[in-house]
Parts: sequence; C-alpha cells; structure tokens
Amino acid sequence: MRQPEYEALASEDLEQLQLERLQSTLTRAFRQVKFYRRQFERLGLRPEDVRSLGDLARLPFTTRADLSENYPYGLFAVPLRDIVRIVSSPGTTEKPLVVGYTSQDVKLWLELLARLYTAAGVGREDIVQLILPPGLANWRRDLQAGAEYLGASVIPAATLNFAKELMVLRDYKTSVLVTTPSLALHLLTVMQQMDLVPADLSLKKALLVAAPLPPPLRREIEEGLQVRACTAYGITEVMGPGLAYSCEADGGLHFSADHFYPEIVDPVSGAPLPEGAEGELVITTLSTLAFPLVRFKSGDRTSLLTEPCPCGRTLVRLGEVRGRVDAIFSVGGIKVHPRQIGALLSQALGGHAPEFHCQVATEAGLEILDIELTVAEAFFSDEIKALEGLCRRVRRHLQDHLGINARITLKELAI
Amino acid sequence: MLRIRNLFAYYGAVTALSGVTCRVREGEVVALIGANGAGKTTLLNAVCGLVRWQGEVTFQGRSLAGMAPEAIVGLGVSQVAEGRQLFAPMSVAENLELGAYRRYRREERGAIERDREWLLELFPKLRERQEQRAGTLSGGEQQMLAIARALMARPRLLLLDEPSLGLAPLVVESILATLGELRAQGVTILLVEQNARAALKVADRAYVMETGRIMLSGSARDLLQDRQVTRAYLGRDYKEFTEGR
Repeated sequence: MRQPEYEALASEDLEQLQLERLQSTLTRAFRQVKFYRRQFERLGLRPEDVRSLGDLARLPFTTRADLSENYPYGLFAVPLRDIVRIVSSPGTTEKPLVVGYTSQDVKLWLELLARLYTAAGVGREDIVQLILPPGLANWRRDLQAGAEYLGASVIPAATLNFAKELMVLRDYKTSVLVTTPSLALHLLTVMQQMDLVPADLSLKKALLVAAPLPPPLRREIEEGLQVRACTAYGITEVMGPGLAYSCEADGGLHFSADHFYPEIVDPVSGAPLPEGAEGELVITTLSTLAFPLVRFKSGDRTSLLTEPCPCGRTLVRLGEVRGRVDAIFSVGGIKVHPRQIGALLSQALGGHAPEFHCQVATEAGLEILDIELTVAEAFFSDEIKALEGLCRRVRRHLQDHLGINARITLKELAI
Repeated sequence: MLRIRNLFAYYGAVTALSGVTCRVREGEVVALIGANGAGKTTLLNAVCGLVRWQGEVTFQGRSLAGMAPEAIVGLGVSQVAEGRQLFAPMSVAENLELGAYRRYRREERGAIERDREWLLELFPKLRERQEQRAGTLSGGEQQMLAIARALMARPRLLLLDEPSLGLAPLVVESILATLGELRAQGVTILLVEQNARAALKVADRAYVMETGRIMLSGSARDLLQDRQVTRAYLGRDYKEFTEGR
C-alpha cells in the first residue's frame, strides 16, 4: 500500500477528512467560481449550509453541458498564473474539454497514480511499456508520468506498428504492459500471426485502462498473455486515470475517496440511491485546486461496495462499470456522443446531414466504429471512385477529430 | 484528539466563524493561518470556552459544549493567549508555579518539580532569570515564559495564539524551534499564526482560514509551496487575484 495513512483510514476519520475537504472545496468554488456561486444562490444556499456529507445532495449536479458552457476558463478556481497545465481533449460536445492543474494538483495526481501502480503490484524494478493510441493522449501522459514518478523504467507510447511493439515487448523484457482491453486483444491476434507465445515474453502484468473490463474479457486477456490483469477507472474531467484502481485482492476498484467523493444516484430522478444499488456515478472533488467539480455526473453506470476488502484498504470500492446512462459510448477507450458523429459526418459531406446508423465493432480485436451511411441524392455519385473517395474523406475526418478508426458502409436510400 | 465540526461563533451581529470543520490528532503540530480577522483566535477561544459557539467540539471524544473554561483546562487544554498575559510584577519562578496551580492539590510535588526542570532546560534563558520580574523580560523571553507557564499545567493539547507577534525574526525562529522540540516530546499543539511561513516550517499540517471559513488544508510542506498560501500569508484577499482572467 502506497499511503496506508489514507488508503486504510478508519471510516470515522475518513468521514471527518472528507467533510473538512468538502467544506473548503465548496467555499473555494463559491467564492472563486461564478458558476458555482450562482448555483448556490439559485437555491438560497451558502457553503456553510452543507454540514454533513449527506447535505451535498442538496446541491445541483454539474454536467458536461455546464463544462461546455463555461469553456474555456469559466470553471477555474485559481487565476491563470497559478495554473501550470491546461489539458484539452476532444470532449463529447462541440467544444473541447479543458481542465486546469496547479502544481499542487499535478503533485496530488502523481501520488494517486503511484497508488494505482503500487496496488497493481508494480514497483521500481519493473519495465513498464505503454501501448495506447494517440486518441488517449491524456491517459498516455498521465500513466507515463505516474510510472516514472514511482521509479519504474518506462517505455512511453510510440507510433510503432503492432509487430514492432511486440518486438519491443519481448526484447526489452517488458514486465508490465499498459494498454486498453481492445488493444490487448488485438496484440493477441498479432502474436498469433508472429508465432509469439507468452513464454517468449517477460510479461507479468497488464494494466488495462480507458474502457470497462468485464470478467470474460479479463479472463481472455489473462489467459492469452499469461499475465495478471489489473485495471483502473478515471475520467478526464476529474483529472484522468487513478480515480479508482483494482487491488491485490481484486474485489472491485478502490475509489480515492479521500480526494474525490463518490455518490450513486438515480440517472433519471437524480435522487441518491441506497448503498450497493446500481446507478450513475457522481463525483465531487475534495482536494483539487484549479478545477473543482461539485457533483459531476460521470454518466457511468456502476455501484459502490462498502464491505471491507481483504487487501486492508478501507476506501470504498467501485463495482463493475456496466455501461453508460447516456448516449455516450466508447471506441477503444475514446468517448464519443452520437451527436458528434452526426455533426462530423455532416461536415465531411459538405453540410448534408445524412441518415446513419453506427455501432462499435471489432476488427482483429481492435475496436472500430462501424458506420452505415444512407446515401442521399445530394452526395450520391454513380462513380465508384467518387464513392470510395467519400468514404475515405469521412474516415479521415473522424480520425482527425476524434482519433477513432471507422469503417464506412454505404446503404442505398430505400424508396 | 480535538475534533471540530460546523463551528459557528458570533460577536453580536458579526459572524466570526461560519461552519468550521477541522481536527488535531495526538502528537501533531497543526497551524491555523490566515489574515487578520479570519477567525483564527476566535476558534481557539471557542475551544477554551471563552466565546459562545454552536456546532460540535470534542476533545478526546468528550463534548466541550457548555463547559466552563476552567473545566476545559482540567481536561488538559492550555492556551497561551496573544500578548502573553503574564503576571508582570511577579517573578519568572512564581509565574511558572502559578501555571501548575491546578496540579498542587492532586499531584506530588516531585512531578511538578521535574516538569519545571524540564522546562528550564528547554528554555535556559528562563533559568538565568528565575528571580527577575516577568514584566522586565524581553518580548521573546516573555513569550517563552508564557509557553513554559502553560506547559506547567501538563496539558495534553497546547493552544498557542500568535507566539511570534512583535518579536524579532531570530527570536521567532528560536521559539518555533522549541515547538518542534515539544512535539518530539509528545506535546500536541494547535498554533495560530499570521506569520504563515514560520508556522508552516514547524507544523505537520495546516488550515488556511479566510473570513470565518477554511479555504485550504493540507500538509505544511505542500502548503508552504502553494501560491495561494503565499497570498494568505501576505494578508491580501484572494479575490483580487482572480479578476481579469
């Protein structure tokens, strides 16, 4: 355990710590962020009205739309000169998602990442290789920084083809592979083509991130690579990876509840749900300085497990993440909203809003977006070359804007 | 050891504390820092029962609600008030003796004597000046005497209000160094300071207060590097720095 003084804190002490941090976070948000001040004032509340963790439920949620409306700096709680990092990602609205960090925030984040790696059994003596797509730039950066902070030997994500990645994996004697579940499956298929077997590798662990890891998938990867798989949960809005992490005892993901307060609510009514119930995960930051979030709706469907864990950590555990409560879906770990796909298709097609149908598919283990596009007269051509060009254009547009691979099939307009 | 939740305190119509939650664990040195009027001293006075308050204050699991100041001292909480408040016409030795006044009836003299010896070792200046009147000591010496007098009561928790006030930087350093020594000997300390930098150097953790609320908390080492704290230390309102972003 990296920080037993926090990870294994007695529940009464944790509750006091959470309340202290929550109250000061609300005070800072109220005094320094207009958006939150208005939220309080609308309800006739002041920060001091939140006297217990339960009182938090009196405050309204913060949504992705709120983040978008306050783009770019509207939700920052410190002046820009205190910000040392401004992270952007495509987000799931028409505007990029912006998150700021102070140097203290960065430090806290590194410590949380070190917790995650330590719980995964990764140490200084390990060789950690990251194979993550460019679309997961934030995960790449954070997981690299965390492993370096821990003192491991790190092989950062590179733009190699998968055969070369596997050569590196074998020849550099990588002991820990950091990748997505989808890429891990793809690596297995490439290994087969290359006649590589797990015994040729020095791999001991796989940290699978950026997408849920249901038990069958996990078993498949563990057996295929002959490793122990561990996982972590994070969302870019709330700093990124390291929000929650699996442990030695493997009983769900321990939520860093000393720095982030989790709630499970009914996705429709917003009412807090009883312990153990499945619903939407809502997160309030307790320690972050630059970008405090009050009751941020993650959109992830999960539950909280409060029974003690054999690993000794007392931090509440996140159950399996079972999909989303909204329309957002993930392609190889990259979050996408169907509205975004529609908007991008229309841009690529010169302003025509096409009818389309999309779903996530796998190609040799790799997750791609399968788009069935109904051809309209406006952009129809009887030349195959032109239609091929159209598909290529759409594919490149999606790759440029979202970093996802797409497969386009054209469908005739039914008359 | 000391646990405070949603503490409110008022001076007439003025709200001095509006819902403060904090704690001090056994063996810790915790600093409360912030500008003048932030509510730091009021918090200490509330713990000592010197101002009326609402909320929850427990010391070693026992609620301090409605307790008289002397009963709170009896539980092992001693305060060194701002401005020292020594008995000026009395000698250093007499001041020390008065610090132990609650112990004479219950404890053997030997224990009190041992404590006096320990304190004179800790503050050798006081040994030299034992017969001198407290009022004639230098500011730094008076502060030392005030701390030593509070420690004569063998408190479990020592509350210090602005020990650096009006003292030269070198003297401040030596007094604060003594606090490190006391911590090593197991004394738990809650320290109120406007001199944030000095306080953070000796404290384990700190809370930053602004107009009756806690704005920040964390390990003293982290807060020492925090730019917001540098501002609180300068005593300026945080808000003016967030304009024009």
